Amino acid sequence: MIKLSPLHNIHSIGSYGNYENKDEKNLIKILEVKDLLIVQLVQYKNSLLKIEDLEIDGLKLNNQALTITHNKNTRILWNSPKNWLLMSINKDLIKKINETFKESDFAVTDLSHSRSIIEIEGRNAKEVLKKGCPFNFNTFSKNSCTNSIYNGISFSADMVEENPDKIRLITLRSFGESFYHSITDASLEFGYKAI
Amino acid sequence: MLYIKCPYCGLRSQNEFAYGGDATIKRPNLNQEVSNTEWDNFVYLRKSPRGRHLEFWHHISGCRQWIKVDRDTATHEIFNTYKANEEV
Repeated sequence: MIKLSPLHNIHSIGSYGNYENKDEKNLIKILEVKDLLIVQLVQYKNSLLKIEDLEIDGLKLNNQALTITHNKNTRILWNSPKNWLLMSINKDLIKKINETFKESDFAVTDLSHSRSIIEIEGRNAKEVLKKGCPFNFNTFSKNSCTNSIYNGISFSADMVEENPDKIRLITLRSFGESFYHSITDASLEFGYKAI
Repeated sequence: MLYIKCPYCGLRSQNEFAYGGDATIKRPNLNQEVSNTEWDNFVYLRKSPRGRHLEFWHHISGCRQWIKVDRDTATHEIFNTYKANEEV
């Protein structure tokens, strides 16, 4: 079976917008992140299990708002109280997750095929996001995450790197193409390279 | 545009929230006889006060939690916000 990524039809490699006569280093880079394991973990309200006792891929769940626990392969984003979004390049992790997070305490949902992820990199990345999102990105630092809205589209942002900023934007797969158009339209002013 | 302090995420724009109505309405107790009038009042009867008002908001594009907001409907001043299960 052929697997088509959410942005397969619209993400075309090349340079766009105001990119001429500019150093390539100063262009915004936009790429689609695909083939990740994406799992939502929700601890039930009546669960008495201490999350400190649980570990997945060497990472503990963090109940502190807007923070991420991460290692080389896996990132666990805080979504809301007792609700996390795990993203990993290690697809076999799902077996371990199902073993660790018991059905009696957790709702584990594999969202790998229902999310679209855009990664935007460059020193103007935050400026692009500010154009359509009311969140104060000036306070957004490395390894923090947030849920917000961009031109009416709900999305999660995950700050992977700083200097230059590298931010992953996660949205529903069905919103993916509209969201991609919104982000690339906002990037034209600075010039961007789709890779 | 209002800025609402979500008890979980911090100060956020109103765009991320959905209004949820009066937060002072109490559901009739379970397993007790409820008259048609009491039930009708619970479902439909709402005040529309001009002034300070406790209301529900849903952080629908954020942490997806319901919160209570103590707001003045005339001036839009927000005095405080609470988690949905907090007694005010």
